[in-house]
Amino acid sequence: MTVSTLTLLVLRIGFLLLLWLFVFAIVYALRSDLFGQRVRKLQSDAAGNPFASAAAARPAPAPAAAAGTISTAEHPLAGLARPITGPIERPAARPVPGEPAGSFPNRPMATVLTAHRLVITSGPRRGTEIPLVNEPITIGRSGDSGLVIRDEYTSTHHARLMLWNNEWMIQDLDSTNGTFLDGQRVTVPTQVPLDAPIKIGTTTFELRR
Amino acid sequence: MTAPTSSTPLASRTGAPSAPVRRIRLPKKLRNLELGLLVFACAINAAAVVLVELGAIGHLDFTLVLLGAGLSALVVAMHIVMRYVAPDADPFVLPIATVLNGIGIAEIYRIDIARHDAGWDSAAVRQIVWTAIAVVCAIAVILLIRNHRVLQRYTYVFGFGALVLLVLPMLPIIGRQVNGARVWIGIGPFSFQPGEIAKIALAVFFAGYLVQARDSLSMVGRKVLGIRFPRLRDLGPILVLWGLSMAVIVFQRDLGTGLLYFGLFLVMIYVATARVGWVVIGLVLFVGGALIASRILGYVQDRFENWLDPFSDHVYNATGGSYQLVQGLFGLAHGGLLGTGLGQGRPTVTPLAESDYIVASLGEELGLIGIFAILCLYLLFVSRGFRVGFAGQDDFGKLLGVGLAFTVALQVFIVIGGITRVIPLTGLTTPFLAAGGSSLVANWIIAALLLRLTDTVRNQPRLVV
Repeated sequence: MTVSTLTLLVLRIGFLLLLWLFVFAIVYALRSDLFGQRVRKLQSDAAGNPFASAAAARPAPAPAAAAGTISTAEHPLAGLARPITGPIERPAARPVPGEPAGSFPNRPMATVLTAHRLVITSGPRRGTEIPLVNEPITIGRSGDSGLVIRDEYTSTHHARLMLWNNEWMIQDLDSTNGTFLDGQRVTVPTQVPLDAPIKIGTTTFELRR
Repeated sequence: MTAPTSSTPLASRTGAPSAPVRRIRLPKKLRNLELGLLVFACAINAAAVVLVELGAIGHLDFTLVLLGAGLSALVVAMHIVMRYVAPDADPFVLPIATVLNGIGIAEIYRIDIARHDAGWDSAAVRQIVWTAIAVVCAIAVILLIRNHRVLQRYTYVFGFGALVLLVLPMLPIIGRQVNGARVWIGIGPFSFQPGEIAKIALAVFFAGYLVQARDSLSMVGRKVLGIRFPRLRDLGPILVLWGLSMAVIVFQRDLGTGLLYFGLFLVMIYVATARVGWVVIGLVLFVGGALIASRILGYVQDRFENWLDPFSDHVYNATGGSYQLVQGLFGLAHGGLLGTGLGQGRPTVTPLAESDYIVASLGEELGLIGIFAILCLYLLFVSRGFRVGFAGQDDFGKLLGVGLAFTVALQVFIVIGGITRVIPLTGLTTPFLAAGGSSLVANWIIAALLLRLTDTVRNQPRLVV
């Protein structure tokens, strides 16, 4: 069997194409890693997320201190937030409404023993909560974060909640728009008090019992 | 929470505690993607071997294709093992390693054909056997190390092991000197380069050491010219490492390995402490050491001369001169943009075309376009390791992932930089491509460790807002 020069030329170029096709197949498959998730419009659909519907469908937990006004009122972007979806009747609240913003020296800190859940108090997914386990949670727009927040104000790797000596700390990962604990921008890893609002983009969450 | 359950979505974990635990069988998206890419990779490998045969001998000979099919079966076996023990591991590492390894085998086979080597003399057959051993090692690693944090417990064991492995070639009976470099050990007909395994042990040691020591390395120290320099006490390990890498260069006559170890340590210490001071100190030490070595040690001086002035007659014709370097450059130039086609170039003109100069051989036959595809594959491989550094949950794993990926990156840079005359030529192997068993085993173990590390990185968020 002899092979003509033309066939060899075609095969040669075909092989190079095959090689590059492989490279592009991989790049296409990991495009969300390379370019980040698509930024979501703030008023986009709510039902698309299986996690939220699962969380929302669960019977509402019975926290002790659940009354008063939610922190959305003081939220600068509160008007943009979508109305709540799902059966969330009861807006959560700060336990001591009159307390001024700033550091709270007397407030109990969130530790592995005291904090059991992370509750979203404002933003598109308000009312949702996830249980806290002894595992750090990364927060950001990228799909590999533990808590993915997709809005225009969140960085790809925005912040992380981590455990130092069983105490929850919030660390800002050099995000563009900052992470706010009790209204103050987080610059160094800071201990998180129980029920203190942490704001990232248009989303605020608290660590609760 | 432990890693194996990390992929189960929130809904299955947050039910009332009294409810019976239900295991939901999720479609393994990542593994299916991997399987698809793996089939693609094996097709590329088969195509490469077929093209080599058509180009070099004009007809098909199925013995090597059959051997290659055996390898494909092994790689698929690794994939199946990962479905059970590392279901969330990165889906790209294994296909990329397979393609690089397969293209390497095809090119080595091509050089065998030109030299009329067959049977056990054939470097390609030996390379296939080594690949089989390497893949089995990788499967063993992924089966035995179920949690990478176990490695942290043996930090100093790994450090000591690395030292022993480095010293082994210097021992009188088993040590062997090949082409001037004393980096081999040989038992009977088998020879092995323990330095390749040592780099993995060193990466584990550095990661474990730096997790403990980074606070004292980054916080304490005197500030000079805006850069905080660490205390002498904390400087100890870096000085020991510097001495070690210089000793490797001096006694084993192996420039590349010394550069690799030192670069690995510098990058890991930089990632751990985020202090530029360490990098400045390290670079000054290395450049200083290299300059002194180039004055004192004859062979280092030759390497510099070959690099700076390869085309002059007396350098080209000298023994240990720039003949190989220049032939490699001619080969690359002969390949041009599209290459001569697999099996149709003349890579055997260059000495060591199947091991040190495999990239020049491939560059001749696949051209610039083909070499760039190979470099892209390396880039993707390395980026998957660096991703652990971004998204990993524990500091040891992050450091280890970055360190292992960086060894591959630095090795590729040192080799290809040397061949293309960007830096002085040093004898290192191109990961996965070059003929050489120890390098293959080491790099497949690195791939397995990266797979183990990426398995712990969260792929599914717990909540999407």
